[in-house]
Amino acid sequence: MTPSAPAPTRAAARPPGRARPFAKAAAAAYRYRVYLLCTIIFAVMGAAAPHFLTPGNFSNVLKGTSTNLPAAVGFTIVLIAGQLDLSVGSAMTMGGILVMGLSPSLGWAGAFGVAVLCGLGLGLTNGLLVAKARINSFIVTLGTMIIVYNAMAIYCRGGTIPATTFALSDFLQRPVVDLDPRGAPPALLWLTLWLTPRNLVSLAVMAAAAVFLRRTPAGRGLHLMGGNPQAAWYSGLHVDRYVIGAFALSGLLAAVGGAVVAAGEAAGSLKLGENSLMTIVAAVIIGGTSMEGGKGTVVGTTVALVALTALINGLSCLGAGHEVQLVASGLVLALIILYDAYWLHRRQRRRGQRKDLLEELQARAASDPPAGRGSQGAPSAPGPGREGRSHG
Amino acid sequence: MSPPPPAARRTRPPAGGRVFGALNVLGVYGLVGGLFALGCAISREFISPDNLMNALRAVTLLGIVAVGLAFVTYSRHYVDLSIPGIMALSGTVAVWALKFGFVPSLAIGLAVGALVGLVNGLVIGYLRLNPIIWTLAMMSLLSGVIRWAYAGRQIYPDKATAAGRAFLELYHHRLLGLLPLPVAVLLAVAAGGYFLMRHTGYGARLKLTGSAYEVARLTGINVRRAVAGAFVISSLTSAAAGVLLTSFNKVGAVYIGGGYDFRTITAVVLGGMTLAGGRGSIVGVLGGVAAIALMNNVMSLVRVGQFVLGDFQQNIVQGAVFILVVGINSFARRRTGGDDA
Amino acid sequence: MEDIGVALRMVGVSKRYPGTLAVDDVNFDVRAGEVHALIGENGAGKSTLMMVLAGAFDDYTGQVCLGGTAVGLHSPAAAKAAGIQMIHQELSLAAPLSIAENVLAGRLPRRAGLLDRRRMLSETRRHLARVGLELDPQTPVEEISLHEAQLVEIAKALANAPCILVMDEPTSALSRAEVQRLFEIIRRLRRQGLAVVYISHHLSEVLQIADRVTVLRDGRKVATEPVAAVTAAQLVERMVGRSVSGLCARRKTAPGAEKLVVEHLSRYGFFHDVSFTVRAGEVLGIGGLSGSGRSELARSLCGIDPVDAGRVLLDGRPVRPGSYGAAIRAGLGYLTEDRKTQGLALRMSVAENVLSAVIPRHCRHGVYSPRRGGGLLARLIDRLSIQPPGPGRIVSALSGGNQQKALLAKWLAADPQVLLLDEPTRGVDVGAKVVIHQAVAELADAGRSVVLISSDLPELVALSDRIVIMRQGHLIGQLDPAEASEASVLLAANGEGKLVPA
Repeated sequence: MTPSAPAPTRAAARPPGRARPFAKAAAAAYRYRVYLLCTIIFAVMGAAAPHFLTPGNFSNVLKGTSTNLPAAVGFTIVLIAGQLDLSVGSAMTMGGILVMGLSPSLGWAGAFGVAVLCGLGLGLTNGLLVAKARINSFIVTLGTMIIVYNAMAIYCRGGTIPATTFALSDFLQRPVVDLDPRGAPPALLWLTLWLTPRNLVSLAVMAAAAVFLRRTPAGRGLHLMGGNPQAAWYSGLHVDRYVIGAFALSGLLAAVGGAVVAAGEAAGSLKLGENSLMTIVAAVIIGGTSMEGGKGTVVGTTVALVALTALINGLSCLGAGHEVQLVASGLVLALIILYDAYWLHRRQRRRGQRKDLLEELQARAASDPPAGRGSQGAPSAPGPGREGRSHG
Repeated sequence: MSPPPPAARRTRPPAGGRVFGALNVLGVYGLVGGLFALGCAISREFISPDNLMNALRAVTLLGIVAVGLAFVTYSRHYVDLSIPGIMALSGTVAVWALKFGFVPSLAIGLAVGALVGLVNGLVIGYLRLNPIIWTLAMMSLLSGVIRWAYAGRQIYPDKATAAGRAFLELYHHRLLGLLPLPVAVLLAVAAGGYFLMRHTGYGARLKLTGSAYEVARLTGINVRRAVAGAFVISSLTSAAAGVLLTSFNKVGAVYIGGGYDFRTITAVVLGGMTLAGGRGSIVGVLGGVAAIALMNNVMSLVRVGQFVLGDFQQNIVQGAVFILVVGINSFARRRTGGDDA
Repeated sequence: MEDIGVALRMVGVSKRYPGTLAVDDVNFDVRAGEVHALIGENGAGKSTLMMVLAGAFDDYTGQVCLGGTAVGLHSPAAAKAAGIQMIHQELSLAAPLSIAENVLAGRLPRRAGLLDRRRMLSETRRHLARVGLELDPQTPVEEISLHEAQLVEIAKALANAPCILVMDEPTSALSRAEVQRLFEIIRRLRRQGLAVVYISHHLSEVLQIADRVTVLRDGRKVATEPVAAVTAAQLVERMVGRSVSGLCARRKTAPGAEKLVVEHLSRYGFFHDVSFTVRAGEVLGIGGLSGSGRSELARSLCGIDPVDAGRVLLDGRPVRPGSYGAAIRAGLGYLTEDRKTQGLALRMSVAENVLSAVIPRHCRHGVYSPRRGGGLLARLIDRLSIQPPGPGRIVSALSGGNQQKALLAKWLAADPQVLLLDEPTRGVDVGAKVVIHQAVAELADAGRSVVLISSDLPELVALSDRIVIMRQGHLIGQLDPAEASEASVLLAANGEGKLVPA
């Protein structure tokens, strides 16, 4: 969007370099926007919604977060690699239904194993189609999303598969340190009520993914590939393998997430992944993962997911129905991406500027301040962006 | 000097070009022919006029929406995932607006749909946000708004009023006693879309925008306006289809239009429009719609002993065909030395 | 063959593109611990020669020896393995990633399967020290300045322990101080025994930093001299030569009234305080080195890029800034520098491209009849001898010269009052060049104004009535028309010529 330049008859536009007093604060706000958002939501909800800031409700928020977290982590990984995986919702559904459907015959371990393997298989299929057949990831995952969803619909005959025993569900939902809510001191309740095996699995997934992305060469290679595939190729990375791996992980994690949720809820249903896609996409983007690839963190995704879940939860505490929650999360996503676009636009505008010319302007403005607006401070250093050349 | 491409640059064109060149030209109508032949082979019922009419009736609304979506894909902005939401919103608002009269209710329904399209167009065209993410967000917003506005209930056209009765009649109305209204609308929309794309200045500008956005911009074309326009067109056709579908279902509800997002993308892509933009035609899109009609019809006629292809199975086939066709298309394009989708 | 101390030797290397011989039987060698500059005009073959070295082609002919052993450079991986590292003009860094990850891309140190952060940072610091950078290695690349990013790019290349480093126009966007810093680093590398190939247009820099200089012209090597033994003027002479340009110099008609007036135009950071006038029937040439801001000036003039100060008057009326569509309607036109990504829609036909700037003209009540432009199209195809002449041909199938002609046809069809041309004959064969020049001359003779931005010196000199020079974002002056020559343009662009006020 080209900003409107000043009309020719008006006095010359202010040369850059005037130190904007809030520039640093604005930049910091942009970088940590997800934490800011989370804090705001908690503050607002805590003040406005009854029963929001109670250990029990907090535990609900975390449970809601952990439902979508593994799939969101997978989506983050794929997005960092520069691709889109729309099949995460269906993969979750698949995990849930397979686990519940197969547990009577294969036992829980067997059922989990099969569910996880199927998730892996889905991911590998996606990855191969994108990397080897070179089909756009949007198309591939849209197609596999439909296929998997309908396959599961056939398998469970359109209904829900309830659990036959509730022991596992109980185990998953019960806090590891089980205290009597009435007798225990609140501080301890805050700390322990949400420590359920179900949440811990999600946390473990997140932690493992975080370590992978931040601390392993493969994880960093993934970032490089998403950030500049050509540079990655030049550095000797097998780009195809990274793409396939990213999708495989995504499918695997989504299936795991779905399986754990279904086991915890003691029912596998087709609806499991339906609403999740929107929430997951919103959380990943709000959490700071770039749509271009190469940039993103699972911690950001997690915080964003907590924020969104808290928002929805808070709204329901306030008595608002399901619909308001949908509107709210859609709105938050919309606002965040608009905010992102604004910052990107600002950076783009300055791309390619020559420092010596700017310095010259500084010097000239400093030496004669006719308009009374001499420059103060150093010019904002232009970032190189991806291409740093100016034409002749 | 630009860095060399990943593969050592080839100076000879790839082999196998002619076969795939032919495939490109045949396009979707080859697929339609093939499906036709398959249908004849599978069942004698296939050829009967009733069956074929049914098949085509089933995709009339799909065709209307697909023509609109084609403009979005043509502009290289992928798809409009908020289509089901626009359909539901338009239909529901039209039912609500019946109290103002039959014709006003249609107008209001369409206007609301167009308004959503305008917002989409402004955000994606002018603010340059990612179309997939934005239209997903918009879909969620619309879904929530509809539920909120009607407190989760469905609303019914009031049979007691003339307007209500007219609305319920809308889908089944036959122009001049012969031509079903939805088909008439499809023909009008298709003709209009074809004309708009091939014979107007807007169409020419949109083609350039989709084919080479930067070049179009540097030719003085207002690319942002062109893209915004595409989303408005898409929302108008979705609104029209949504109103008709609501009339058919006799109820205004949030689930109207469900599934249309995937089916329309499939039709558009089957019809030869590539995601890369600037390529394809309305004729092709209609072919894609016909292909889907025949595909569904053929699948429903499959009867091997006890084995029948139900809804879910058909969807799976559709999903697989979707991936397959795009894959073949882009493979063929790459083989003939062109760019891939 | 004596190869002691010779790090690179290219013998009889040729590379042919369909239609042109870009590099013709070139011998080129570089010694260890030497900075060898490679100069020549655009199209002389420097880039292609270096691309051969980078492994971009699998079909070059000739022999390349590294350290005495013949190697086959048929892929970028082979080139890298052979110890050749290129620093391109477009940086190959991944912006969201940290400096460390970019420098050590593909070779991140590990310990027990995990990333060894400490080693990564310390190694990176070591590599950065080689180029004199003291940044925190964890800083994301998108947050550092362009100059620092370029140094990171160099550090990255050095981290691969090359024996040959090729730098392509490394100073285009650097300030004078930054250039000196870069030279310090290059000298240090030279002392360490690295062989450096330095490609540049900036003769003053070449004379400063290089040990030897090789001049290419029309794909052939013209001379290799030690830098101590040549002056800029002599180099210019070699670059420019006595090539028979085959151009028709225009009969210079007396220019008419003022058509385009540019007053104190600035876009902060790109060009500052540019003023000039163009008259009807006049061709104004703008000379300058890459990075001088000419294209940016043209784009801002036409409204493609924003304007921060100053104004543009066309026929006395101000041109609305920021809207290219309005500028075109007012009578401006800009033929872009890069025909493939900016000028032509490659997947569309010649007809569609040529008529793309005048769509409204052939619309009536919104209905577009391109057939109405058929006559115009046919005339242009004929006049510019676009081969093959079928208007339905897809542009990507045309040769470079014909593509450029199609691009020119597009703007001729728009019939602007003032046409700005940016490198109108880059990458174009001689036949097409002649046709294009003729068309430009005819345009001016018909009373239109032309602004010609070109690095092709014979073209600039032959076509222009007047030549102004831009350097580092400023319009520094005009060449005395009596003394306008290829040599004087080049010297002036390097800051050494004699100029009169514009």
